[in-house]
Amino acid sequence: MDLLLQTLVNGILIGGVYLIITLGFNLAFGVLGVIDFAVGEWVMLGGFTGYWLNHYLGLDPLLFLPVTFVVFVIVGALVYPMLARLLKGRQHARLLMVFVFTFGLSTLLKGGALTAWGFNQRAMDSFFSARSVELAGVYMPQIRLVAFFFGVLITVAVAWMLYRTRFGLSVRAVAQDEGKARLMGVNTNRVAALVYALYAGLTGMAGVLIGVIYTVTPQMGVQYTIFAFFIAVLAGLGYVPGVLLAALLLGLIQAFVAVYIGSAYSLLIVFLSLYLILLVAPRGILNRGRA
Amino acid sequence: MKRATRDLCLFSLAALIIMLVLLFTLDSANLRVVTGVYMWIGLALSWNIIGGYTGYLSFGHAAFFGIGAYTTAILVTVAGWPFPLAVLTGGVAAGVLAALIGGPTLRLAGAYFAIGTWAVALCMLQLANILDITGGAYGISLPSLYSDTVFYLLMFALAWLVFFFTWHYIEHGSFGRKLEALRENELAAEMLGINTNRQKLLAFIVSAVFPGLIGGVYAGWIVFIEPNAVFGSNINDPMILMTILGGAGTVMGPVIAAVVLYLLNRILWINWSADTAYLIFLGFLTCVVVLYAPNGLVGTFKAWLANRRRSLPDTQDDEEAS
Repeated sequence: MDLLLQTLVNGILIGGVYLIITLGFNLAFGVLGVIDFAVGEWVMLGGFTGYWLNHYLGLDPLLFLPVTFVVFVIVGALVYPMLARLLKGRQHARLLMVFVFTFGLSTLLKGGALTAWGFNQRAMDSFFSARSVELAGVYMPQIRLVAFFFGVLITVAVAWMLYRTRFGLSVRAVAQDEGKARLMGVNTNRVAALVYALYAGLTGMAGVLIGVIYTVTPQMGVQYTIFAFFIAVLAGLGYVPGVLLAALLLGLIQAFVAVYIGSAYSLLIVFLSLYLILLVAPRGILNRGRA
Repeated sequence: MKRATRDLCLFSLAALIIMLVLLFTLDSANLRVVTGVYMWIGLALSWNIIGGYTGYLSFGHAAFFGIGAYTTAILVTVAGWPFPLAVLTGGVAAGVLAALIGGPTLRLAGAYFAIGTWAVALCMLQLANILDITGGAYGISLPSLYSDTVFYLLMFALAWLVFFFTWHYIEHGSFGRKLEALRENELAAEMLGINTNRQKLLAFIVSAVFPGLIGGVYAGWIVFIEPNAVFGSNINDPMILMTILGGAGTVMGPVIAAVVLYLLNRILWINWSADTAYLIFLGFLTCVVVLYAPNGLVGTFKAWLANRRRSLPDTQDDEEAS
């Protein structure tokens, strides 16, 4: 019973971090129609941003979350014009070309990180790292708790932005029908640029949290790309509320497979279920996404 | 003789002469580099069949390369089969895998197909890591069966086979016309009486069998395989990027890109032992090409030629009209 409860808590806690990555990812898909293959590399680079700031300034890596956010918002704003150029082009299969572009970008970023920093794993410690809380026989590392609550906080903030602000209204309008949104006077190009920048910023921050919980290495990106795809497909691509359920599910699948089947099978089962969900329910388990 | 057939003969003859000249002039280290060039030509051309001509971007072709390599390795070491038979079985295994996953996966469009095939390749990678018969992460060591020269000739033969198939059945055959029709507009192709599901599946299987065979020969040539070396991104990604850089849906594009990029890889490796820098070049070139020449280098060149040819008489007409 204790083991079951512990596994449940582990799964939920890590799901909170995945939430941050996929929230932005799915939002960007909804507005731009773009599936960003480089999502895992933003996580990786975010992790390294946290690592190097921590390494040279010696402050707690969690304090650099806002800095990382700003850095990656700027990076996202710089990348967006290239995506926009591809999206406005006239060539055949534009969205597929954007996908290939982000694939090239991810190869470039991974190669650059590997060349600069090598294959080594690097760890960074936070104030919360070696501590834990025990509640009713369930043991919770503090850093994971902090990461989870940060994830929840970000989710609430994004939800507030989407449903309670004028900007959020225009984001939802563009996601629903870009042409009509433009007729209503929404500057769709600006909305898309801001959403992409926001997504990059959120993903970079998630990288810092993941880096503190585990380690950072230039090769870590691919795993988070597939996690982002998994959650987004499960949630239904473009359907933001579904992300809540899907991120927790991924955390739970990983935790339960690791405990009851063996951690070697964890990724296999994630990949296999991604494939099967794509085939059986391409609009997500809630049937609300775009196919 | 038809012009296409004549060109094919001339090109094959030239390739044969170059191959023989290199065989007798290069030392063994450089011969291995050229063997690698043939391998990448074969792989890029195979990917081109489904990714270029059919327009279905498979992000999981390493699955077929890997299953060919593992089938060959297991049959040779465990079952004691003769190498050629094991390689052929590896090709069949790749074809069977493609036939099994092709039906459902090819219903997915665009990036969904890419993600689906990528998931399949990652599943294969994990399976190879877990199963006992594949030796897990430790991989499999094969006996050294033939000399490097034999593998040089085998890789050349396979690369030529893919080239011949692409040239004869796709670039200048009805099969390729059907594939291009369904790439441009699947519904319209169906209205013309093309069984698009069947043609897509055929293209997918063919483009999987060749990497399966190449993977088998690779296993015998390299003598040691492990999951990441045959199912990983170092096999998977260059196939895609080479084809797109050179020109997806052209015969010469993938060939040229494979030669240039693999040689670049070796130069970086030999001089600076930096094969990670290769990824920077691949990624950067892909971004630039997608942004500024989305048809790839050869595709853009062909479009430019066609445009020039067309525009010359046009300007004369305009002058007469005015």
